[in-house]
Amino acid sequence: MADERNSYIVNVRDVKKVYRVGTVNINALNGVDLAVKAGEICCVVGRSGSGKSTLLNVMAGLEAPTSGEIVIAKQHVEKMTQSELIRFRQKHVGFIFQSFNLMPYYTALENVALPLSFRGVPKEKREKRAREILKAVGLGTHLNHKPMQMSGGQQQRVGIARALVSDPEIVFADEPTGNLDSKTSDEVMNMMCGIARDQGRTLILVTHDPKMAAYTDRVINLLDGKVTDERQIEQRVLQEAGA
Amino acid sequence: MRILDQLAMAFMNLWRRKLRAVLTVLGMVIGTASIVVMISLGIGINEAQIKNFEQFGSLTMIEVSSWKYTETRDGMGTSTETELNDKSVEAFRKIPGVKAVMPRIETWGFIKSGQYVTDVSILGVDLDVAEEFGFELSDGRLPNPHTGKNYEIVFAGHVMNNFYNPKTGKQAMDPMTGISKVTLDRSRFQLTFDSSNIYDNGGFMGKPMPMPVGGGYSEDPSQPQPKGKFYKVTPVGTMSEGNNYSWYSLMDINALKKLAKENKNIMNLDTEKYYQVMVKCNDIDDVAAVKKQIDDMGYGTYSLQDALEMAKKSSQQLQLLLGAIGGVALLVAAIGIMNTMMMSIYERTKEIGIIKVLGCRMGNIATLFLTEAAYIGFFGGAIGLGISYGLSALLNGFLMAGSGMMSVIPAYLAVFAVVFSVGVALVSGMYPAVKAMRLSALSAIRSE
Repeated sequence: MADERNSYIVNVRDVKKVYRVGTVNINALNGVDLAVKAGEICCVVGRSGSGKSTLLNVMAGLEAPTSGEIVIAKQHVEKMTQSELIRFRQKHVGFIFQSFNLMPYYTALENVALPLSFRGVPKEKREKRAREILKAVGLGTHLNHKPMQMSGGQQQRVGIARALVSDPEIVFADEPTGNLDSKTSDEVMNMMCGIARDQGRTLILVTHDPKMAAYTDRVINLLDGKVTDERQIEQRVLQEAGA
Repeated sequence: MRILDQLAMAFMNLWRRKLRAVLTVLGMVIGTASIVVMISLGIGINEAQIKNFEQFGSLTMIEVSSWKYTETRDGMGTSTETELNDKSVEAFRKIPGVKAVMPRIETWGFIKSGQYVTDVSILGVDLDVAEEFGFELSDGRLPNPHTGKNYEIVFAGHVMNNFYNPKTGKQAMDPMTGISKVTLDRSRFQLTFDSSNIYDNGGFMGKPMPMPVGGGYSEDPSQPQPKGKFYKVTPVGTMSEGNNYSWYSLMDINALKKLAKENKNIMNLDTEKYYQVMVKCNDIDDVAAVKKQIDDMGYGTYSLQDALEMAKKSSQQLQLLLGAIGGVALLVAAIGIMNTMMMSIYERTKEIGIIKVLGCRMGNIATLFLTEAAYIGFFGGAIGLGISYGLSALLNGFLMAGSGMMSVIPAYLAVFAVVFSVGVALVSGMYPAVKAMRLSALSAIRSE
């Protein structure tokens, strides 16, 4: 059992998160167990209020769990201080936001290079890397566009490029298509999962849209802070959906 | 994060809100300029004061007198006398920090050249130390000790113009042409201390006797005294005008003592006791200690520094007041910076959360905000300093010309102004920076 656990890059055990609203306790996470293998692309699906976003935040170290263990890349996230968490994210984690969260006054290139500048990478080097990755997401012609000059789909591609630029072992995506129309959503999902698969990265995305599950290897259903159902998705299904 | 990246990023963040940045910097400009101009006025007043005092003599000089005035409790005072003699002069010389000591012997006499006469105040100088006491000659040299037949003398600047004939009252100098019948190179001069040598007893044929400027005294004719001797004197130099000793003619101190002994009954100058001794210190900083030591020996002391200290104290209060007025403007500017930074944090809460999620370290976030504040301080300080130079020139050129006030900005004040405004900005940026650092990364996730 222990050996098996070690092969997982994400290991969540009996995590609970309790919010106190006024005098009422709300159990956002009610004992979640989750293990994700390196290179796996998995999708957490749940209705609004199911606790899926909380789960993502807790795993990325943005929120501390009330109890339970979270081991990511062999490190206990729940025990880290804020600045340890920042260093941890710098090294191991990429993050894709629902509302893109690009810096409006930076160009696409500068936005993508930003996480590298926090690591102290010199300007030429980080812009070279950012250019490569922007080309990979199909924005080689939009390097010097500012977010305002790009469509939602393009902005999210910049967001994806930014999450991948620092070569993270694991990428979290919080409703990455939540602000996009269905056609663009399909394009973005295709591209995102494709790159993650090509590069062998672990990707955990959270969505309320069950259709998105088709792009992933594994779907985890979450209801009232508990995992209710898990299933593997055959690559065949994915190919059908893509076709 | 690299320093250059941080500087660039902070500058960008500031420049994104141009108007606000400019207004905040403007506040700092006004603050810095007001404090610099105020302090420069204070420094100007101080410098003018020192210059003013230096006209009256050297600041390293202490005048010692045998009489010491001690104030008592009830506001009255008593004076006590301690004898000043060669022994005390020797004792003064041994005090550390003392450069030179010279007893002050002065008397007055008459210079006669042919039928023309003038009166002179004569100061005895010690050639060895004379230089330290700043006797300025317009030409010639200081008098040497008496050796041969003649006594050497340095005339006060006005002496040559004052010769007149006591019998006719006629000036030696023609007021129209300025040519005098008595000249340094052609005339011979004699010195006497006895006024009866000059003004015949009982005056002159019933006409009123012309009195010398310095005021003579008439002898009682009923008690005839031996007449004072004439001494041949050779002028070797002329005093320059406009300093502390311009009024005096100079002779060697020992020569003067010798003459005083020979003319004891006329001159009434005690050569054993001094009325006053001048002490010159090595440095302005030595003056207080030397003065205290001499004071403790029971002598009365006075130095220009006493007056200067008092003047400084009152001008210090003025400077403090001026600085405080300027400081208020700077304080307002500092609050402005804090306000700007706080606003900026509220505006950028989400952004700060994002960069935290993207891996920007806590220290870097704090530094970013502090750097922004420092920029405001630096630009405000530098521009404010530039404006201060302009204002200072304007004040000196137009408004205060001839009023004796001036505005001086020394280099240290310029450096201090910029450093200080950056410091003030950093202090006001401290709280916002810490607040930004502590913001939750979660705020990035929450959609607006």
